[in-house]
Amino acid sequence: MLESIVSYGLAVGAVYAMIGITYNVMFTASRAFSFTAGMLGMLGGVLGALFIDRLGLPAIVGLLLVLACGAVMGVITEIVAVRPVLKSIEQHLYVLSTLAFALLIAQFTAIEWGTDAAPFPRLIPIGEGLLDQKFWIPMLACAVTVVGLELLYRKTLIGRAFLAIAEDAYAARALGLPEVRLRLASFALAGMIGSLAGFAGGEMLLAFFGNQSILNFYGFVPVALGGMGNNRGALVAGLLLGLFQQAANFLVGGIFASVAVFVVFIIVLLLRPEGFAGASGARRV
Amino acid sequence: MSITRRKVLAGSAAAAGAASLASGLASPAIAANEPLRIGFLPALTGPSSSTGVAMNRGTLLAVDEINAAGGVNGRKIEIIVRDTQSDATKAVNAIAELTSRQKVAMIWGPLNSGETLAATPLCARAGIPMIHPCWVDTLIDVKKYPMSFRSAPTNEQIGEAANHYVMDVLKAKKVAVIGDNAGYATATVAAYVPLLKKKGGTVVYEGNVDAANPDLKPELLRMRDGGAEAIMPWSVNAGFLARILNTRAAMGWDVPVVGQTTLGSGQTKALLDKPENWAKVYSNNFKNCCYAGDGKLPALAADFRGRIAKAKIDMNDTLLWWIACGYDAPKLIAETVKAAGDSPKDITAYLNKLKNWPGINATLTFTPEQHNGVPDAEVVMCQANSLKDGAFNLAPGYGA
Repeated sequence: MLESIVSYGLAVGAVYAMIGITYNVMFTASRAFSFTAGMLGMLGGVLGALFIDRLGLPAIVGLLLVLACGAVMGVITEIVAVRPVLKSIEQHLYVLSTLAFALLIAQFTAIEWGTDAAPFPRLIPIGEGLLDQKFWIPMLACAVTVVGLELLYRKTLIGRAFLAIAEDAYAARALGLPEVRLRLASFALAGMIGSLAGFAGGEMLLAFFGNQSILNFYGFVPVALGGMGNNRGALVAGLLLGLFQQAANFLVGGIFASVAVFVVFIIVLLLRPEGFAGASGARRV
Repeated sequence: MSITRRKVLAGSAAAAGAASLASGLASPAIAANEPLRIGFLPALTGPSSSTGVAMNRGTLLAVDEINAAGGVNGRKIEIIVRDTQSDATKAVNAIAELTSRQKVAMIWGPLNSGETLAATPLCARAGIPMIHPCWVDTLIDVKKYPMSFRSAPTNEQIGEAANHYVMDVLKAKKVAVIGDNAGYATATVAAYVPLLKKKGGTVVYEGNVDAANPDLKPELLRMRDGGAEAIMPWSVNAGFLARILNTRAAMGWDVPVVGQTTLGSGQTKALLDKPENWAKVYSNNFKNCCYAGDGKLPALAADFRGRIAKAKIDMNDTLLWWIACGYDAPKLIAETVKAAGDSPKDITAYLNKLKNWPGINATLTFTPEQHNGVPDAEVVMCQANSLKDGAFNLAPGYGA
């Protein structure tokens, strides 16, 4: 039982954490909360199955194509659903526009792909070892994402430019940074991370259009608990969420496991609205 | 003789009566040359279309056969098809059109419960008899809808057949009943568990689980710890069902799984980790369209499949019983009109006395009090992994 809680919990938690990081990357670049993260995850699974299972491409080519499609979806999200409403960000219209765009893509997927879950291919042709690939691939993908992002933000010039935009877009623009292009690049990056989450977790979650709503919600929990824009917080909260959810599956079971997750989520938000790792921001008066 | 106002009124009433009597007498002569119109409401597109497309093939085959043989008392059958697009609103609009403008003698369909729930009251109001193959129990109510008949089992019969198989054939007394969190599954689990208990079974696990939950091991461990001798999953979600079967195999547990028809679908098969995971899985089906112990179909169904092949109807993507069910309805309607005439009253009166009518899919019997036509004994379980040319093997234990 403990082994199942840890393996499944950490694997699902890694997927949640990556979706949370997708939210964060889009949020830091635009200050808009884009509810397309779950959609990107869902597409990662569906497109992976399409490229590898149906079109017969090698797994590595499938992965690269999925990442490319994710990047394109990220860019389209920025142009179609975020940019037009950024001028009046205080009205929070991006909630509506990004959610509508995500639903549009989900419906399109349901029509073209089908409403039934479809199999996701085994990515590496090896037998089941101590820990099956469906568990360690999401964990590995999550680790690569987190380390890669840390290196990008701390060691590269473009990464620092991302941080500058996130800190103060107005000042960054005044310094001559190409704000719009950097924001587009951020959304493309988020698209790749989101689709990688769905691709890596595909063997567990299957290629199913209905995964969108689950990933949208469970991926949001690490952001809320870990603090908005805080990737390390999202990582820790995502893994904890996975472990807690799986433990609840064993301890209370059935539909009550979801209830247990919601209850804990609400309690934490009541006690610490800014999340575990988030700092409560000073409000200008 | 003085002419009073009263006499004039009485005279004109008598004249009108005579005229209507004359026209009433004349109408059969005209009707005899007119085609017999049947309204047909399949979902040929949309999410419910896999059943609709298959039943449509059977229906058109039956109509072609009847017309080629000279029609019904010399009248050709004109089937007026309206695609409901799996949408109850479109089904309702089509019913209104078919009953008021097209003046059909009878309606066949709609073919799924959601649409039929909306269509049945309208048909009843229009006074047009209908027959449908939908499973929801409340669709048949002889008081509210005296002209509505069912050519398929009820949900209760489906549950009873599975419960009978688990308890009387497999001799399992401790049962685990599981569903996903969709409307059909929650309602079905709630309805079937009391039936199981009434039969003397012990329900060691009863639960509804999120259909997208990737890991069902905790639930199956609970079932095993409770001593379950059979698992009964009620869900139309292939992903959910495949996860149960894959988890069962991963646990090395060979408990039988007995339940919904989706257990035997191609979508479920595609999601299995190994083909062996489909062993000891039994899904609902109909005795007349299953291979018996000797590997042969019953005589009527075997002959029917020969005719399907001759008519070059595609069988690869569908199930025999769907096509057979589509075939039976126009055959029954034609026979009814031939024997009793085409007025709604006569059709209803004839169907109310129908006894053991030998359909390809089911032997139908109706009485004025019972419009659910399929006998309990013909609702059976089949081996989910035995699909061959659109039909399954009967589950072990039903005898030859």
